[in-house]
Amino acid sequence: MTEAFDPITLEIYWNRLISAADEAATGLLRTAFSTIVRESNDFATVLMDRRGESVAENTGGLASFSCILPRTTKAFLEKFPLETWKPGDTVITNDPWIATGHLPDFTVVTGIFHRGRLVGFAGSISHSPDIGGSLWAADCREIFEEGIRIPITHLLREGQWNEAMLEILLGNVRVPRQVLGDLQAQVVANEVGARRIAEFLDDTGLDDLEGLSAALQERTDRAMRRAIAELPDGTYAAEIGADGFDAQKTLIACTVTVRGDTMQIDYTGTSPQIDRGINCPMNYTHAYSVYPVKCALDPFTPRNEGSYRAITVTAPERSILNPLYPAPVSARQLTGHLLAGAIYKALAPVMPEKIIAECGGAPTMRALFSGARADGDSFSQVLFASGGMGAAPHKDGMAATAFPTNVGAGSIEAYESVAPITVWKKRLRQDSGGAGRFRGGLGQEVELEIRTTTPARLSLLSDRHEHPASGILGGEAGGPSVVRFADGSKPHPKSRTTVPPGARLTLLYAGGGGYGPPRERDRDAVRADLADGYISPGAARDTYGLE
Amino acid sequence: MASGTATARIGIDVGGTFTDLVLHDAARDITHTGKLLTTPDDPSRAIIDGTVRLLEETGLTPADLHSVIHGTTLVTNTIIERTGATVGLLTTEGFRDSIEIGRETRYDLYDLFLETPTTLVPRRRRLEVPERIGADGDVLLPLDEAAVATAARRLVEEEKVEAIAVAFLHSYRDARHEKRAGAVINALYPALPLSLSAEVAPEIREYERASTACANAYVQPLMARYLDRVEAALIERGFHGRLYIMLSGGGITTVREAKAYPIRLIESGPAAGAMASSFIARMAGLERVVSFDMGGTTAKMCLVEGYEPNHKFDFEAGRVRRFQKGSGLPLKVSVVDMIEIGAGGGSLARVDPASGLMKVGPRSAGAMPGPVCYGRGGTEPAVTDADLVLGRLDPAYFLGGEMKLDPDRVTRAFAERISAKIGVDAEQAALGVQRIVDETMAAATRMHLAEKGKDPRRFTMIAFGGAGPVHAWNLARLLKMRRVVVPLGAGVASALGFLVAPPATDMVRSHVARLERLDWDAVSALFAEMAAEGRALLTEAGAAEGAISFRPVAEMRHVGQGFEIPVPLPSMSLSAADLPVIREAFFAAYRDRFERSMEDSPIEALSWRLACAAPGQHIDLGGAVKTKPGTGGAVPRATRRVLFEGVGWQDCPVYDRYALAPGAAFAGPALVEERESTCVVGPGSKVHIDRFLNLVMDLE
Repeated sequence: MTEAFDPITLEIYWNRLISAADEAATGLLRTAFSTIVRESNDFATVLMDRRGESVAENTGGLASFSCILPRTTKAFLEKFPLETWKPGDTVITNDPWIATGHLPDFTVVTGIFHRGRLVGFAGSISHSPDIGGSLWAADCREIFEEGIRIPITHLLREGQWNEAMLEILLGNVRVPRQVLGDLQAQVVANEVGARRIAEFLDDTGLDDLEGLSAALQERTDRAMRRAIAELPDGTYAAEIGADGFDAQKTLIACTVTVRGDTMQIDYTGTSPQIDRGINCPMNYTHAYSVYPVKCALDPFTPRNEGSYRAITVTAPERSILNPLYPAPVSARQLTGHLLAGAIYKALAPVMPEKIIAECGGAPTMRALFSGARADGDSFSQVLFASGGMGAAPHKDGMAATAFPTNVGAGSIEAYESVAPITVWKKRLRQDSGGAGRFRGGLGQEVELEIRTTTPARLSLLSDRHEHPASGILGGEAGGPSVVRFADGSKPHPKSRTTVPPGARLTLLYAGGGGYGPPRERDRDAVRADLADGYISPGAARDTYGLE
Repeated sequence: MASGTATARIGIDVGGTFTDLVLHDAARDITHTGKLLTTPDDPSRAIIDGTVRLLEETGLTPADLHSVIHGTTLVTNTIIERTGATVGLLTTEGFRDSIEIGRETRYDLYDLFLETPTTLVPRRRRLEVPERIGADGDVLLPLDEAAVATAARRLVEEEKVEAIAVAFLHSYRDARHEKRAGAVINALYPALPLSLSAEVAPEIREYERASTACANAYVQPLMARYLDRVEAALIERGFHGRLYIMLSGGGITTVREAKAYPIRLIESGPAAGAMASSFIARMAGLERVVSFDMGGTTAKMCLVEGYEPNHKFDFEAGRVRRFQKGSGLPLKVSVVDMIEIGAGGGSLARVDPASGLMKVGPRSAGAMPGPVCYGRGGTEPAVTDADLVLGRLDPAYFLGGEMKLDPDRVTRAFAERISAKIGVDAEQAALGVQRIVDETMAAATRMHLAEKGKDPRRFTMIAFGGAGPVHAWNLARLLKMRRVVVPLGAGVASALGFLVAPPATDMVRSHVARLERLDWDAVSALFAEMAAEGRALLTEAGAAEGAISFRPVAEMRHVGQGFEIPVPLPSMSLSAADLPVIREAFFAAYRDRFERSMEDSPIEALSWRLACAAPGQHIDLGGAVKTKPGTGGAVPRATRRVLFEGVGWQDCPVYDRYALAPGAAFAGPALVEERESTCVVGPGSKVHIDRFLNLVMDLE
């Protein structure tokens, strides 16, 4: 039960726990190999109590992962009940339905022991450098093509590595040394977190985390409920469309029901699951539904299990937001990242001051180039770049910034140093920000040349070619995604394309949607946009009505 | 040139509120300090007034001055307040937006309405010119010089820019296009300040390099005018010595160099504190030190190892949220690796309405109105107020008795602002403030060490700043550190840094390659070039050529990793034969940080650094101590009750710091008062005064 912690002690203890999770994240980031982990913050570290409920999450990392980790840990506990855990035990899985929705992320959880007793769990998620299967493809028909699946199993048993499992895993990936290096980094991170918790219990004299966990969850639960209770009761619905896969277009139907201090988000009416890898398993659907709600309603209270207790998320089985095994799911983010836009659109009439328009970078557009360098070595490099964010009630959307994910971009100089590619342009894309009282963030224009001597391969994961980010409350849509070769031909937006040496490719990243009618935009802001070239003279005149 | 009697040196730190000065003359055995209000409209006024005053007070004349060493916050304030020059930027065609696109990350994951730092150069003043150099240094597209001239004319004639920055892709690899563009602009506008990215920050990563070049251009006109003014004013007063400027990395440099690369002064002031800590560490023989400087608004921590502060080679200026990483403009400059957190004497306590929990900082009462106890209109309780309630400060002896504190007003503020909301009495609320602020500092320090793979228990703390000695004992306790050293005179301690700083410069070039494929002749040539430049610079700054030391370092990583680590190199002249030694040095550095190594994974080098330094001046404070040796006794002048967490109220003897001679020793709990600060000695700890008058506190 909730022990009595005064508001001073609770503040101190909470910060200690968040610091412990942050220190674990530092351990992971320092030693991880995967560029994706660092460049796109594709990781999380979470500290949990004996029930697998989160007590504290790391500050950086991927918010959605932090939300999923406790769900995965609870599944671990079903398979390996509390009493079976021994000091030095670490359990792993990458099962999309149990963990993060696709195979490349490993979830690794270590038991925390204090005075010989299991007091909680330290967990980490990290995007692996490789998982075998067909690299970076949204076009697989079944999950079996997408890589190797590790069911819930021990990675370490009493400190000893599970050699048999590792041998099978590493025998099925392209870069075994790096995959192992990152798994080691995750174990290091968990050990750091576990050590800090044990020290914390020593310092404070607490026997375990139970009372503290309940007290902290009660605080976050109360903060979220208070924010929800301020909304009028009612049912709010919205639909948004996406490109889907070839002829199979995607529809997200979202109904948000607010009743008192609770919120239900339901996706009945959403497209059925398809036989391509853009299906989004329920864990990912849940995470990308509650995260945008947290951002809009209670952004500054730290998070734990209690933050999301007031919100339920449901989606019909066999829909694209709750597909069943063995559906292909590798590019589940192409669907999951759309949910924030649907929820904000539904809630816009009742909380217009708290939401933003749809984002061009939801989903992110990712282009992976691979092939052979002149010296014979192979290369495989993701081009990181983002579209623009949707406009807000009182300010323009951020250019070239992703939401709901938080991917970074590397340096073009560094990129060209490792890949035989010359990037001729990477700049903001005029007129791509959706017009509005506040303008959507601009997308980007990238032009590059493949300078290999043999054909290279482009793996593209993208959407918004036919469905740009829509504006809100009278705002207009942002510019759509466009990818085309110099000869005018277009690669498949969600598949692999062979690229001849010397080919030039243009990638236009989508802009964010606008907020409010463009003709209500401040005239000085329109003039400034024109002077800076964010908008063209034509747009200033025709869309914004600048005299 | 300075004559034989010109042996006095003055260090001057121009801060936001105060200009601090310290004069040291080894030959005449004088150490003297001064403090006056900064004159923000023209900071050189306080410098001159202060110098004149210091000379008068010591009976010296301007002719007795050997040198003046100056640190300034002007550069950092210019960027924070966005009061710099109108700058134009020339970039490679296709890349004018790299300074606006940045790293494409949100520094706060949950804030939908995040404010980002505005660029120093708006898009309309960023022009592109056709040119392109590849990653390997090949010219893919020749520079269009006519386009450079057209762009420069437009920037100067139409946009009225006062400085131009040039940042072309891969210029760190081959700067010929940037240099050519610079020559074209210089021919058109010879007086216009120019910042070429390959000269300001010759490192790979276009955003950070361009950002640094723009920031340099942004502060250049202002700094040039300012330094000219200071120099002219000093000469006018009869000063014939040298004027040196403190660099962000803790070295000193010439006015000429400071005017060319003013951005390297961005952390000029804070670096002095770190240099002072290094000086005290050397004096006391402390190999591993956490330097802890807590003032009115912030606390700063840095590691001093082997008597030198840790360095890093990137910095963030003008943050939108002062203590939030990622919310500022990135700069590639050599700085002391310091963390700054919003925890100072003025940090305010409040109850957060969303969670119902008590929070302290980062909001600060500043100097005006200041904490409630100052009685200048402050109504929200601050850390200093809590220190007063807990008995750590004497209401009658604050700033040596210059300021009378008002305890009743403070107790009322705690009762109204905190107690009423969370149901604890004023004493417990004050204790809570202390606990929270100390925990916040401990967490930040722990994280800073964790990022380097270090354990605080192996370090000694050196504490200074007005609030540093008040909180040092508890902070050390939380970090499980065993020893705290508090130098005499918190105010003097930081300014000493100016007088001990060596002439120094940090050079860098990027040349990216896997170790086994490296062109060692090319790397050796880079080092030769950097050494020649460094030697010229330091001899100009007054160093004897033979006394200059060079430390070559490579920034290396495993292929595919995103973190480079600095690896010391055996020599500046390298060949393939050095490969085994360099590999082993990398693995050793890697193990040191990450507690493991991956010896079968390929290694690459990105940047090559050369630290050039002449020996710093030594100051022997021990000789200047005018106390009787062997007076080991310590007699308290009073007793005061102090509240300690988990212990309760304790009667503490109060010692006068100035009466404690070397060899004096006593046990805690106790208080040691001096003019600018009070040192809290916790229960169970033991204190002695060393021969340099440092207070050395050993925790149980």
